[in-house]
Amino acid sequence: MRICCGLTGHLELAKRPDLYGGAVIVGEWESHVIAASEEALPFGVLPGMPLRQAEHLCPQATFIAPDPIAASRLRELISIALYDLAPVVEVRVEGIAWLDVSGVVKPGESIREARRRLRAAIGREPRLGLAPGPFSARVAAARARPGRLVQVEDARTFLAPLAARELPLDEEQRERLDLLGLRTLGAVAAIGPRELESQLGREGRRAVLLARGTEPDELTPWRPPQFTSAHRQFEPPVEDREALLFVSRALCGDLADELGLRGAGAKRVRVRLVYESDEPDARDSTVRHPLSSAAELFGLIGGWVKEWQPRAPITELWIELPVLEAAGRRQLRLWAGNDGTSEEVIAAFERLQERHGDDVVRKPRPALLSSPLPSQRFDWVS
Amino acid sequence: MQEMQLEHAINTIRVRFGSQALTRAAELPPPQPWPSHTPLDRLTGIEGLPRGRLVLLTGSGTCGKLTLALGLLAAATREFAHAVVIDTREGFDPWALLPFDPDLGSLTVVRLDPDSSGEAATALARAGAGFILLMGEIPEQWLGPMEAGANRSGSVMVGVVDVPGRAFAHASSLSLGFSRTEWVWERDQLVGLRTIARCLKNRVAPPLGETELEIRYPLGPQLPFASPVIEVPIEKVDFECASAAV
Repeated sequence: MRICCGLTGHLELAKRPDLYGGAVIVGEWESHVIAASEEALPFGVLPGMPLRQAEHLCPQATFIAPDPIAASRLRELISIALYDLAPVVEVRVEGIAWLDVSGVVKPGESIREARRRLRAAIGREPRLGLAPGPFSARVAAARARPGRLVQVEDARTFLAPLAARELPLDEEQRERLDLLGLRTLGAVAAIGPRELESQLGREGRRAVLLARGTEPDELTPWRPPQFTSAHRQFEPPVEDREALLFVSRALCGDLADELGLRGAGAKRVRVRLVYESDEPDARDSTVRHPLSSAAELFGLIGGWVKEWQPRAPITELWIELPVLEAAGRRQLRLWAGNDGTSEEVIAAFERLQERHGDDVVRKPRPALLSSPLPSQRFDWVS
Repeated sequence: MQEMQLEHAINTIRVRFGSQALTRAAELPPPQPWPSHTPLDRLTGIEGLPRGRLVLLTGSGTCGKLTLALGLLAAATREFAHAVVIDTREGFDPWALLPFDPDLGSLTVVRLDPDSSGEAATALARAGAGFILLMGEIPEQWLGPMEAGANRSGSVMVGVVDVPGRAFAHASSLSLGFSRTEWVWERDQLVGLRTIARCLKNRVAPPLGETELEIRYPLGPQLPFASPVIEVPIEKVDFECASAAV
């Protein structure tokens, strides 16, 4: 396993890039510190301590209230940005982005691109670490300079001289480690997991495994949200059908690109027209096979737009894909002509059935071929 | 001097109406042929039926055009993932196809009234169905989108009509007219016919005149029916272009 970790600083700090370079502390008054910038750490400010204490330690810092929704949205944006670089991507709001680059053909290119995209999202250079597991990669990244990568081959050797405070334990558990004389990760790794488990509970066992570099934790892969949409506003409002068709074709192209990135297909499609002076119109349909290409999407949506009779000038066109599915592709029939477009042909058949009834499209299956009655010779399958 | 004036006029048209408004014939890429392995390949001039274009088989009843079209359809079911029959007359019977050894898994029949057939043909041509057999005419307003869709996807489209309307004939790139010359009898049984196949219109290559075909009726799957269409040497071969007939 090869895990790349990018450290960007807590995402609560990234929403105020104008404060980069100064001491910033994020937290609710009468509560605890959620995040502190690197410039505030030398004053003894640590996440988790009471905000009053942090103010006492670093009065010159800028204090800002947390906005968990914005931080969570930023986490989603970073996850989307990194999604195509590695099979497994996990981004945490604490400013940690993990990419499992094992099996990636050119991991160096993925890591370089991850650095570029993190920099674009956060506005500052991330610190990067590459190690056999998530914990050692995070510890390695914390020791890298901004924009640089620390690469670790043997996690146990790398972790051994580091302080035991690197372990993800609470303050009381750390004090107990200190009382036990376990001040480095090498010392923690030397004792048995059961011995420390008897002292610290389950966390003690996990701490030993982490210190040994065996990495008991696995990444939680980020999955794309199962909904997507695209829309366009018209200024001035339009009534021209050709303009609507043109825009819907472009939106279908955008959505197909996004679906391709996710490896997903649309199981349900909805189109909404927002009028200047009337209630919006909507039409939706569930398709049998997930639509993923622009031609498939536009084949359905273009047909709707062509027959739509708008009641008033249109100000907005929305194309929503509320239900997504994995766009499983089948094995192509190698010597059959035009087989690459088979999904689109099947989608065209389905649209015809939707408009004119199931009996419109049928396939003959041999039944009683020797029968004198033509109706008995074939079974017709819709 | 005349050439310069012509070049200037061409450039003016291109500047005003776009670079594709006027294209030299030599610059047009030839359509890719689909070899049908029938004598029609020689008549088309490109050794096969053109992909992305409409081919018409015309002629009055019992001239052999439908038998020939069924032979093409059966070959298409073996070669393409989707061979579609758009049956506006609801008269298509796949039983008649069996002697040609089709792959029925690839065959789909779309039965629609003539007014809606254009929508189906356009949608399937756009989607990229390999072979589309039209058993009747398509409404005029759908001919343009259908042609454009087929051109983009490379579908082979074959229409079978007795006498095509002006719009349908105009939309076709290759039009072959059939006229029966005599019946073929064996042991007092009607087994086929002889027909003259004439190239009435050809937009994909110079028209190559006509040929005589002997078309054998499929008399049942139990009979050996290896080659239903046989080309017969014709004594008189006319190489004159007959485009004006359409």
